[in-house]
Amino acid sequence: MKILTLIKLTLDISQLKYESTGEPLTEIAPKKMGDSDKCAVEEAVRLKEKLGAYTVVATIGSTSENERIIRDAYAMGIDEGYIVKVEDPEILQATSIGKIVSSLVEKTGPYDLIILGAGSLDTHSYTLGSIIASKLNIPIIAGVDSLQYVDGFFEALCIMEDGAYTFRAKAPLVVTVTTEANEPRIPTLKTILRSKKMEVKTLTIHDLGVDDVVKVDLLDVKRYVVNRRKILWDASEDLEKAVDKFIEVLVSEGVAQ
Amino acid sequence: MDFEFSEEEVRFRESVQEFCKRYIEPRWVEIDEGGKIPLELIKKMGEQGLFMIPVSEEYGGMGGTITMAAIAIEEIAYHDPSVAVAVYALLNNGWPFIMEKYSLEDVKREILPKVARGEAFYGIASTESQGGSDVAGIKTLAIKKGDKWIINGEKTYISGVREIQELPQGGGYFLVAKTGKVEYGHRNITAFNLILKWDGKVREGWKPTLFEEIGRRGISTGAFTLEDFELEDKYRIGEENKGFYYLMEGFNVARILVAAATIGSGRWAIDQAIEWIRNRRLFEGRPISSFQGVSFRFSELYGELEAAKLLTYRAAWLADKIYIERDRKWREQDLNVPVALCKMKAPEATGKIYEELMKWYGAYAYTKDCNAFRGWIGTLSYLVGAEGAQNIMRIIIARDIIGREYVKG
Repeated sequence: MKILTLIKLTLDISQLKYESTGEPLTEIAPKKMGDSDKCAVEEAVRLKEKLGAYTVVATIGSTSENERIIRDAYAMGIDEGYIVKVEDPEILQATSIGKIVSSLVEKTGPYDLIILGAGSLDTHSYTLGSIIASKLNIPIIAGVDSLQYVDGFFEALCIMEDGAYTFRAKAPLVVTVTTEANEPRIPTLKTILRSKKMEVKTLTIHDLGVDDVVKVDLLDVKRYVVNRRKILWDASEDLEKAVDKFIEVLVSEGVAQ
Repeated sequence: MDFEFSEEEVRFRESVQEFCKRYIEPRWVEIDEGGKIPLELIKKMGEQGLFMIPVSEEYGGMGGTITMAAIAIEEIAYHDPSVAVAVYALLNNGWPFIMEKYSLEDVKREILPKVARGEAFYGIASTESQGGSDVAGIKTLAIKKGDKWIINGEKTYISGVREIQELPQGGGYFLVAKTGKVEYGHRNITAFNLILKWDGKVREGWKPTLFEEIGRRGISTGAFTLEDFELEDKYRIGEENKGFYYLMEGFNVARILVAAATIGSGRWAIDQAIEWIRNRRLFEGRPISSFQGVSFRFSELYGELEAAKLLTYRAAWLADKIYIERDRKWREQDLNVPVALCKMKAPEATGKIYEELMKWYGAYAYTKDCNAFRGWIGTLSYLVGAEGAQNIMRIIIARDIIGREYVKG
C-alpha cells in the first residue's frame, strides 16, 4: 500500500496578532502545518504501522518553512517528501492545486490512498479533496472522523449533523479527515534529529507538466469581529419573562425567526 | 556570534510545548496540591523521550545535548511553574549523563534504559545532615570487603525517595561516600550507583523517610540511612577516590538545568504579569501598566530574566562544547564560572519576579485562588540551597575571577 498525504503551511491562527486598527499582522505570525493536515499525517503513519504502507508527503510552497513541515511529517514517521515549488501558494486557486496534485500523483504514484485535512486553517474552503478526486476520477470520502482498513476496504466514520454514517470504499480513493480523527503524535527529539538527515525532494510545476496556475485576487484580510451586545436579563424573579425578552432580541437581530 | 537556536532545537522546543500543553499544564495545580506526580505521567514523559536527553541512544537516551535538555526543562517548568515535574525531569537528565560517562558497560545497560522509559528514578544523594555545601566533609562511609562495598551513613534532603519506592522498577542515586579516612577531605570520596530498589524489590539496609515540603510538592524529598548496605564493586562509578570530581561535573550539568527550570517558571510569572497589568484597571479605568511604578519595575525584571536566560544557555552551550563535542579549545574548569553565574542569577531573578507579581495582584495573591504562590515557593527551593547554595555560587565566581589566594578566609 502506498499513501500520499498532502499538507499545507498555514498561519498559526492562535498566535496571530492584530494592529489596533484590526489589521492582522500576517507577516510576523508563526506558520505551521495545518491541524487537520497533521491528523492526516497521523492517520497515514498509523496505516504504515498496521499494514506496512509506504508513506509519502507533499506540500506546495517556496520557503524554508515548507521544508520544515515536511521534516515535521518525517519526525512523525513519514518515509518520503516532496515540495512543489510555487510562489505565494496561499493564494493559489483550489483548482490549480488540484491540477498540481493530480500531476504529482501521476509522476510519483500510483497511490492507494490520498489523504489530507478536510479544511485548511486559513481559507477553510473544504474543496480541495473533491477537486483532486474529480481530476483523478476516483472516489472520495470527505470529513472523516475515524478511518479503518477492513477486509480490503477503507471504512470511514463521518459524524454529521443528522447522525453518524459509515462509508466504505476500495483503493484508490481520496480521504479528507477532520481534527476529530485522531490525536496526532508529538515528535520526539530522536525522531526530530533523524528527520534532519532525510532528503526533501523538490519539484517545479514544470517538472509536473503544469504550465500555469491561477491565483486568487486577495482584496483584503480583516479580523473577524463579534460585537457583544452586553445585555443582561434579570431572571431571578421571572424566568419566563426574561426568556421572552431574550427571544425578542434574537428575532430583532435576525438570529432567530 | 550566533544567538539563534538551531532548527532542531526550535522544533524540539515546540514538541515539548505541545506535550506539556497536552499532559502537564492541565494537571500542574492538581500535582502541586496532591503532592505527587502521577506515575502514568512519568511513564508518558519517558515515552516522549524527556529523560536522558544528552545520554547516548545505545543506553536508551536521546543522543541530544545539554542545551536540548535545558530547553526541555525550561518548557516543562513553564507549564508546571511549581517546577516539581521539571525537577523530576532534570534529575533524570543530568545524573544519568554523568553516570554514563564513568560507569561500567553492563551497569549502564542494566540501569539506564529503565530510567529512560520512566520505570526507574536516578537522582543524586550527596547532602548529609551536617551540611550540603561541605561535600568534602561527608561522613557516609564505604568499606570494601572482597568484591563488595559495605556502606553506612545517612543522606538527607534527597529528591525522589518516594518515587523510587513507587515506580515499578525502583531506582537509585549517584551516591558519594568516603572510602578512607574522613580527614583526607575531597580526595577520599568515591561515587557509586546506589541501587535501592531494583526489578521491583527493595534492597536490604536502606531505611527511607519522607519530609513534608512547603513547595514543588509534586516531587518527594526525604532522607535515608544505609546500614551495612551491600553494593557490588561493579556499581562503583569511575576510579576510587575520584568521586568528588565526578560529582562536580554532575553539578555543572544539574545546575544548568536547575537554572533552566527556574527560568521556565519565571517566564510563566512574566506572562501572568503582562496579562494582569494590562487588564487590571484602577484610578479612572487606567491599566496599572500605565503607571511607571509598575511598568519600569516590569522592564527591570524582564531584563533580569533575559540576562539569566542568556547566562543559562551560554553555560549549556559551553557544556556541550566540553562534554558532548569534546572541543579541546575548552577545559572543564572553564565551566565553573558560567555555571555558577546561571545558578546564582536564575533563581534570584525568578524570585524577584514572583515577589513583584504577587504585589501587583495584591490581596488576591495571598489566597489559594491565585496560583502564583506555587511558583514562588517552588522556585524558592533553589534560593535556599538545592543543587548548590547561592553563596557557594558566589564563592566559585569570586575564587575564579578575583583569585583563589585573595578570597581565602
